[in-house]
Amino acid sequence: MGSGRALRVVHLYPELLNLYGDSGNILVLRRRMEWRGISCEVEEVHTGDHPSFVDADIVFIGGGSDREQRIVCDYLLEVRRELAAFVEDGGVLGAVCGGYQLLGHSYLMGDEEVRGLSLVDLYTDRGTPRLIGNIAVESRISPQPIVGFENHGGRTHLGPGVEPMGKVLHGYGNDGTTGEEGCLYKNVVGTYVHGPLLPKNPGVADYLIARALERRFGVAELEPLDDAAELAANKVMYDRLMDEEARG
Amino acid sequence: MRLISAAATSLGRLVHWGLTNVLHRNASQLPGRIALALDPQLIAHLRDRATKGSIVVCGTNGKTTTNNVIAASLEASGMRVLCNRAGANMVAGVASALLSGGTADLAVLEADELSTIHILPQLRPDYLVLLNLFRDQLDRAGEIDHVQDTIVAALAASPSTKLVTCGDDPLSMGVAVRATQAGTKVLTFGMGEDLGLAPDRVPEARFCQACGTELRYEYRSYAQLGKFACPNCGFARPELDFVATAVAVDREGVSFDFSRPGEGTRRIHADFGGVYMAYNLLAAAAAASLAGVDAAHFQQALDGYHPANGRLQRFGVDGREVVLNLAKNPTGFNQNLSLLLADERPKAAFFVVNDNYNDGRDISWIWDVDFERLAGDEGMHRVIAGGHRANDVQVRLKYAGIGAAIAGSVGEALGQLADLPDECPLYVLTNYSALWPARDELERLGERHG
Repeated sequence: MGSGRALRVVHLYPELLNLYGDSGNILVLRRRMEWRGISCEVEEVHTGDHPSFVDADIVFIGGGSDREQRIVCDYLLEVRRELAAFVEDGGVLGAVCGGYQLLGHSYLMGDEEVRGLSLVDLYTDRGTPRLIGNIAVESRISPQPIVGFENHGGRTHLGPGVEPMGKVLHGYGNDGTTGEEGCLYKNVVGTYVHGPLLPKNPGVADYLIARALERRFGVAELEPLDDAAELAANKVMYDRLMDEEARG
Repeated sequence: MRLISAAATSLGRLVHWGLTNVLHRNASQLPGRIALALDPQLIAHLRDRATKGSIVVCGTNGKTTTNNVIAASLEASGMRVLCNRAGANMVAGVASALLSGGTADLAVLEADELSTIHILPQLRPDYLVLLNLFRDQLDRAGEIDHVQDTIVAALAASPSTKLVTCGDDPLSMGVAVRATQAGTKVLTFGMGEDLGLAPDRVPEARFCQACGTELRYEYRSYAQLGKFACPNCGFARPELDFVATAVAVDREGVSFDFSRPGEGTRRIHADFGGVYMAYNLLAAAAAASLAGVDAAHFQQALDGYHPANGRLQRFGVDGREVVLNLAKNPTGFNQNLSLLLADERPKAAFFVVNDNYNDGRDISWIWDVDFERLAGDEGMHRVIAGGHRANDVQVRLKYAGIGAAIAGSVGEALGQLADLPDECPLYVLTNYSALWPARDELERLGERHG
């Protein structure tokens, strides 16, 4: 059992970055820890707070509108050094959609290039049309295909040596052309997949929890949970998307 | 009228006649669609069919009910009205409504927020009623900023149109402030007091529309609606033109004193409940009052108004009460959960979520619905998930601490309640495309209770 184990989740600016049900990601992390007897403390960082990542195990950044993403970017640039130290130390960071774009060197807001956090070697420009729809991705971090929804005008380009989260089986992914989606760097997972990401992809949730346990306690094993409902939801959508692929 | 418009009108009316009288089909879209293909300026050419002008109703939640109540109150006053009652609210639906009869006194038309940019410049209505703005269908409508920009542009293209909007809603007031700067005359409605209801989630608009500072509230009615003010700049709930006071809201109905400065106060009551309904009726009363409807006729319309469009519609199936309502975004859903929790009886719920184009294909919003509130309610005896995304709803409920089975239809959901006493009602909450099939099924299965 997980007696005495505790992990600390830092949720960055939930009131600004909450466009696509992102609170669901935090809820799933919390429940899946609690069901295994791991206590989970969630710290919400709000505007005006000065976040610290020293005691953090998992940091999460969600998606927001352009305006909100810009506000968050300005706040996070002030603590960039601390966040970068957390990432380089193997800290677990999950970033979705707008949060994913913030990880890179820059992104475009309209025609303006906005400086990002440079935590991962990637950058984002824009294209038309917006890439909107259901998505399925094959990834080494999840035993099941990762399924969800994407909705982004940005086209994200990975630097040499940055591993994508996975291969697009249906949908668009990072830029709609390379067939790659998301990024993996140390224990950072960045992705355009929302819906939100973790509920229907328990493998990804457990990957984040396992990496955090490994870093904090040196042990990564997780007790299996009854994921029948989650896996059924995953399979229903995956089968639907593969059926669409087959029919062209 | 130009020849092409006359031809388009004749063809549209012929299609309308054929659909209704020969095929006995719904004529809420097709006549307009065909006529618009011939004449893209059709709405401009039809605007004179309503000889005394028109009112357009938009807003994320409550359009159909508000629009239909306004239309009913005008009819109760003896006016002839053109109205898209079934809620077909894109350009084709509005054109179909204008084609549907002979001339009338007024047109009362519900419009999808993003369609206002196509409808307003041509129709040039006397009033645009903007009820509220909530996050809805992000994949189709885009972010709320985009919806606001569209309505502001629509008003700018129809300078004679006055905006009637919810002063309690910072997002609608964001539109109003910009429209005022562009020369639009604005009238506002809102609650004149704290309703004292249990607080719900504020999914959006916690920040000032002008400067981004977090808003402060003297009181909040639901979601982001309330008496708000920005502590940093002048953005605040305005002095209201139409006010509700002495508001009583419960599951069975709403009543309030409606006042318009200089006109005294009158009591309005209706036997359909929910705080959002108080706002809808307040908006309807404001619009009706502007159109010259007196208090008695407005109340008469409410007394005779029985929603038959799946909005809080009640049925009886083998002795069990079934309540059907539309719930298509987090705010609407949370309001429905409030209604459900206000029912003290033991009860069951069937939540149906589809992801067709008109529902929005992205259903991530179900994670912003406060299902956790149900987990703590002892009277909640069974929760069932349905729709194309039943599995996603089931997972959402699981993480809210609620075990839910899946059912493929209302009949199947009712079948799962066999062990529960007849006194235990079933609430069926569905999003858009699931609503009509559920209503049709309930009309087959049981008898309607108004």
